[in-house]
Parts: sequence; structure tokens; C-alpha cells
Amino acid sequence: MTNLLQCEGLVLGYQAAKANAAGIVAPFSFELKAGEVVALLGENGCGKSTFLKTLCAQLQPVAGEVTLCGQSLWGSADATAWTARERAKLVTLVRMSGLVCDRMTVREFVSLGRTPYAGLFDGRSKEDEKIVDEAVSLLELENFTNRWVNELSDGERSRVYLAQAVAQQVKVLLLDEPNAFLDIPRSRKLFMLLQKLAKERGMGILVSTHSVEYAEKYCDRIMVIEKGCVRCESANEARAKGLLDWTEA
Amino acid sequence: MAGERRFEYRVQAGFALLVALAFVLSYLTLFSGSVGLSWSDLSLNSVESRIFWDIRVPRLAAAVLSGISLAVAGLSLQTLFRNPLAGPFVLGISSGASLGVALSLLAGFSFGYFGVLSAASVGALAVTLVVMTVAARFENSTVLLIVGLLVGYFIDALVSLLIVGSDAESLRVYVSWGMGSFGRLTFDCIWIYALSVLLGLALLGLSVRYLNAARMGDDFAKGLGVNVRRGRMMVLLGASLLAAASTAFCGPVAFVGIAVPHLAFMLFKTSNHRVLMPASALCGIVLCLAACQFSKIPLNAVLSLVGVPVVLWVIVRGGGIRK
Repeated sequence: MTNLLQCEGLVLGYQAAKANAAGIVAPFSFELKAGEVVALLGENGCGKSTFLKTLCAQLQPVAGEVTLCGQSLWGSADATAWTARERAKLVTLVRMSGLVCDRMTVREFVSLGRTPYAGLFDGRSKEDEKIVDEAVSLLELENFTNRWVNELSDGERSRVYLAQAVAQQVKVLLLDEPNAFLDIPRSRKLFMLLQKLAKERGMGILVSTHSVEYAEKYCDRIMVIEKGCVRCESANEARAKGLLDWTEA
Repeated sequence: MAGERRFEYRVQAGFALLVALAFVLSYLTLFSGSVGLSWSDLSLNSVESRIFWDIRVPRLAAAVLSGISLAVAGLSLQTLFRNPLAGPFVLGISSGASLGVALSLLAGFSFGYFGVLSAASVGALAVTLVVMTVAARFENSTVLLIVGLLVGYFIDALVSLLIVGSDAESLRVYVSWGMGSFGRLTFDCIWIYALSVLLGLALLGLSVRYLNAARMGDDFAKGLGVNVRRGRMMVLLGASLLAAASTAFCGPVAFVGIAVPHLAFMLFKTSNHRVLMPASALCGIVLCLAACQFSKIPLNAVLSLVGVPVVLWVIVRGGGIRK
């Protein structure tokens, strides 16, 4: 399996531009391969969201390097770095809260996923419309494509957010607690869908969650951020190797 | 797919209705009024011809250009600030124009050949420069909104000081300017106004990608590969240019910039700027042309008197503004 994301000596933290910026975790390395789903676990405030934001270039790390599909994630002086638009075709972060979709129908929102591929005036081709239809159908949203996003339940809205990311056709999908608002059957379906997306489309998926059971059952590897240290093991061996001890403390 | 077809039908029907209304109101603006005109009256050098070319055509141009500029600027700023109460005047641009005019009319400063027009333009553009400088330094749109409002209040205070020291006649002229009018534009100046509006529209038209993505916030737009900083500057510059041109040529015209984008949304039920931008422009044209039919009443009064019931009716009938 090819490496989609590669982190070397990464130190996560906010305010990376400041000289005295301190990292919130010890330096670590990590790679995300095509076709695998990795669960990201840890207590609230341990740095899961910070890690995800760093991987999609919303935050700059305090130290270290992230390579996305063979090229550097950040611009600056590095000539081989992805442009923002190229990057948006490769990686996206799906967040389930904090978005206010005022005055937007489900279809309009899912169609935003085609923005990186759109021309100057943000038009959508027939191919774009087809991809949006596929994403809508994959997340079973056909019955409410014309409803307003802000009128949906939290669970329905989570599926809409995921459909938008699917329509974006990225190689690396980052999800921040996607099943936080989902019921048990929907959560199970979501993780099965993530497995399917990874296997069928060759995507690399990193999903932060508090659902240890789903992480063990449906993910290939489990990554844990605990007390400023990052560890990553195969999902089958994570419990035996003590990665999940903190959940029972 | 049935929903998609219904949406397309709604868009086509909406545009057809607005274009038809705009043509009817344009005809009324040109040919009806205190002196009724017809095509046959427009022979060379007749009084009717002079009324047509010197009064009616400039008034029509002023109403059309103001309708477009205020509505599109209002829509763009509401999206940029993600605030339904934002309008062309939240950035203090109207106040800047008012200060320029107050300096010209109340304090006796000379602003060259175009007089009040230049004064309003200089004032509006000076505030635009302040806003752009702030926008370049701060990422947060809320900071910009607050700075725009503060600049507006500060300038209004300066204008109040000028008003206190002015004579009655200057004050009368200034108050009259503040009421707004489509009757000030002259035939010779139409091209300047049209050029400013075209430039502003070009900047906003090229920002449609940013505007559509910015509906969900700047971080979301960045995640879609949109250059947020460039988009924001283009929208601010375009909207400022439109608001400044409108204020310079027609005075501070309220209501259109805030209300028309909501009206357009309720008619078309979409927030896609590819549809909403031309829809807002057409709604703005129709509303301003409707206001033109009452040329004896101050423009701001008639716009509110005509516009508020219409918008309220649409809101009530449409089931209310979205949550």
C-alpha cells in the first residue's frame, strides 16, 4: 500500500509562528496508507483535533514535516508544496459541529464539495452533478436533498457533511468525531461505509472518535494520544499492547 | 431530480418576471410622470426631447445602476460577514461620503469641477482605504465589521460638529442630499457611474467561488482550496466601489442594500451566488424603478414606504426568514 500521508518528527501545537511556541505532544512520526482506516483516540483536549487540523494545513506544526502524496503540505519557500486548490483535491477535514448552514439546501451543501474543481464562476459540469448524485445516494440522502440543512437533525446533518467530503473526491479523509451525533445503527453503518470508501476508492481515512468498540472492530489501526505521547498499533493488537488501558482508568 | 427541475423552473420564471417588471417600470419612468411623453414627441430640440434626454434617461440610469450596485454590494457583504443585517453602509462608506459632502457644503471646502460628487467620492474612497487597510491586517471578519461601524460613528460625530457651525441654507442643501435622489445624475456623468458599477460588478463576479464557499465560514472555504484573503479583499473592494459610486451620485440610499438580498432569496430559494447575484441585481432594479414613480417624495422615504410592505409581505407569505 502506498503512503498518502507521512509525518516526520511532528510536534503539534497552536501559535507555531511564535518563537516560544510549545508543543502539546512529544515529536512523533506517522504514516497513513491508501486503503486503511485509522482510528484516533484520546481524552478530550489531548490534541486529536489539533492533529487533524495540522494534517489538512489549517494549522502549522511547531516542528516537523508532513508530506501529502509525495509533496510537502505547506507552502512558504518550498517550491514543491501543493497549492491550496490542489491540496483541497487530496485532503479534507470533516467536522460535525461549528458549521452554520443558513439558507442552504442539502444538495447545495453537498455540491460545495466540487468547489476545488470548479472554474472561475463556480459552475458545475454534468460530471460534477453526477458525482454529487453519487455522494447523495451513498449517504442515503435522496429523500431530503431539497430540505434546508439547518432543519435536519444532528445525525442527518452529519451524513450531509460526510457526503460533501465524498463529493470532494479526496485521497485522504480526516473526520473529527463523525459519530458524535449518530445513533448506534447509523454509527455502525458509518464505520462500515468508511471501510468501504477506503477499500474501494483507495482512500486513507483518519477518524477521531470516542467509540473504542467501533475503532477495534472496523478500523485497521488505532492511534492514541495520551499524556503528550502518540502511539499507534494494529487494531487487533492495540488492547493487548496497552493502548486502551486509559479507557478503563 | 424532480426537485432540481422544479428549482430550475422557479429560477427561469423568477428571472422572466423580474425582467418583465423592469421593462414595464423603465417604460413608465421614461414616458409617464408630470409631463407625459411618447416616442413621437422626441424630435430634435423639442422641450419633450430635452425632458427625455436630460431628466428621464439620467433618472432611469440612476435608478438602474443604484438598484444593481446597492443590492449586489449588500448581498456580498451579508455573505462576507455572515450577517443578515450587513449592508453597503456597515463599513462606514456612506458616512465617509457624508463627511466629504459636509466638508463641501457646510465647511466650504472645494472638491474641484464635480463639486458634491467629488466630495462624496473622496470621502467614500478614503473610508474604503481605511477598511481595506484593516482587512489586510485582521483575518477575523467580525473585527472588520466592528471597525466599520466605529469609523461610521466617528465620522457621523465629525459631521455633527460641522452641522453645528453651519448656516441655515447650507444645512438645507446638506439635509436634502442626505434624503437621496435619482434626479441628481446628469446625462454626461452616466458613463462614469456605469463604469464604476461595471468595475465593482466585475470584482464581485470574479469572487463568486469565494462567496459561495464563504457562506460556511473562512476555515471551510480554505478547506475547499479557496484563496480567502484574496476573495475577501476583492469583495470588500468591489462592494466599497459600488456603495461609494451609488452614494456619490444618488446620496445615501438606505434599505435597498439590506432588504433586497433577502427578497431575492425568498423569491429564488437559493443562496448560490451564481443565481442570487443577478437575482438581487434585478430585484434592486425593480425596487428602485418602482421608487422612481414617486419622484416628488424623498427617495429614502419612498423606498422604505414602498419596500418595507413588499418585503414584509414576501416574508409573511414565504413562511418567515430562515432560522
